[in-house]
Amino acid sequence: MTNPITKDRRHFEDLKVGEVVQLGKRTLSKDDIISFAKEFDPLPFHLDEEVARKSLLGGLASSGWQTAGFSLRMLVDEFLSKVAGMGGLGFDNLKWKRPLMKNDTLTGAVTISALRRSKSHPEMGIVVLDFDMRNQKDQQVMTLSLTNLVEVRDPSAPIEENAA
Amino acid sequence: MTLWFEDIDLVTVWPLGEYTFTEEEIIRFAKRYDPQYFHIDPEAAKHSHFGGIIASGWHTVSIGHKVMVDFMYAHDAEQRERGEEPGVSGPSPGVNKMEFKAPVRAGDTIRFDLSVKDKRKSNSLPGWGVLTSIIEAYNQQDELVYRSEIASFSKLRDYKPTLKERALLAMAAMPVFKKLLRK
Repeated sequence: MTNPITKDRRHFEDLKVGEVVQLGKRTLSKDDIISFAKEFDPLPFHLDEEVARKSLLGGLASSGWQTAGFSLRMLVDEFLSKVAGMGGLGFDNLKWKRPLMKNDTLTGAVTISALRRSKSHPEMGIVVLDFDMRNQKDQQVMTLSLTNLVEVRDPSAPIEENAA
Repeated sequence: MTLWFEDIDLVTVWPLGEYTFTEEEIIRFAKRYDPQYFHIDPEAAKHSHFGGIIASGWHTVSIGHKVMVDFMYAHDAEQRERGEEPGVSGPSPGVNKMEFKAPVRAGDTIRFDLSVKDKRKSNSLPGWGVLTSIIEAYNQQDELVYRSEIASFSKLRDYKPTLKERALLAMAAMPVFKKLLRK
């Protein structure tokens, strides 16, 4: 059964290990940081510039989950909206290397580090996406490995030995 | 539940609280952070293998974080009321593992549980301990929605720094060194 929403998008068969997706840029305003923090991470040093200045971080910094959210958004814009995605299985080794401060610009690249067919669901392929997120000074801000599912165009094709 | 490193056990499961997701919120979060069709478009989502709209896993995780922060504040206030001094937690260096196990749909009520799987004294930060915490999210049918393994820091109550460490800490508190450390 063909999915009319994704039929013209890239499928599992179209992806290659080593493919690099260059992400766009996103500058974080004070309002971005505070509005996310109010809803999801209401710690004083994400909410109040005065408190933040005196904290370990030395200024208003975004919640680590917001940095992750904007990174994901950039991957959707450049990649996931163009592939026949089926959602995520999770992620490994998320590391917040340094805080993303007010007016910092987040950018980065994502590399396909692994591809394999699902053994139990022949219509599903598994893609591992390694994030390397940086600020405007090219300092590493965050890394993580996201594991997502992608539709296989031809589920009847034989599944290789190293499948999951 | 900001606890001192010494008081943290590896047995207690802390019920952090629960949260009910609405379709409006699911779509609003996803439009900003995860605009894949099965998170933002109820009609298109019918064609996905989920059969309808589901919350972004990152939305569920962000809510789990919020529920934890609220629980910590409430627990700290209770400790202070009893005349106890709450412990001090530090920033999280990251998440070792996050597994999305079942989708969250509009109307689902998700509960979040926290436990500590492992604790040790930090080698790099004297006076602090490193925790490996587990957060598990379950829906109203008791199905596991996600399981995460998160690293964090917790301060030692009984820590007595050596003379050398005290000198280093004093230096680190001086404005000029603070600036250097920030770089």
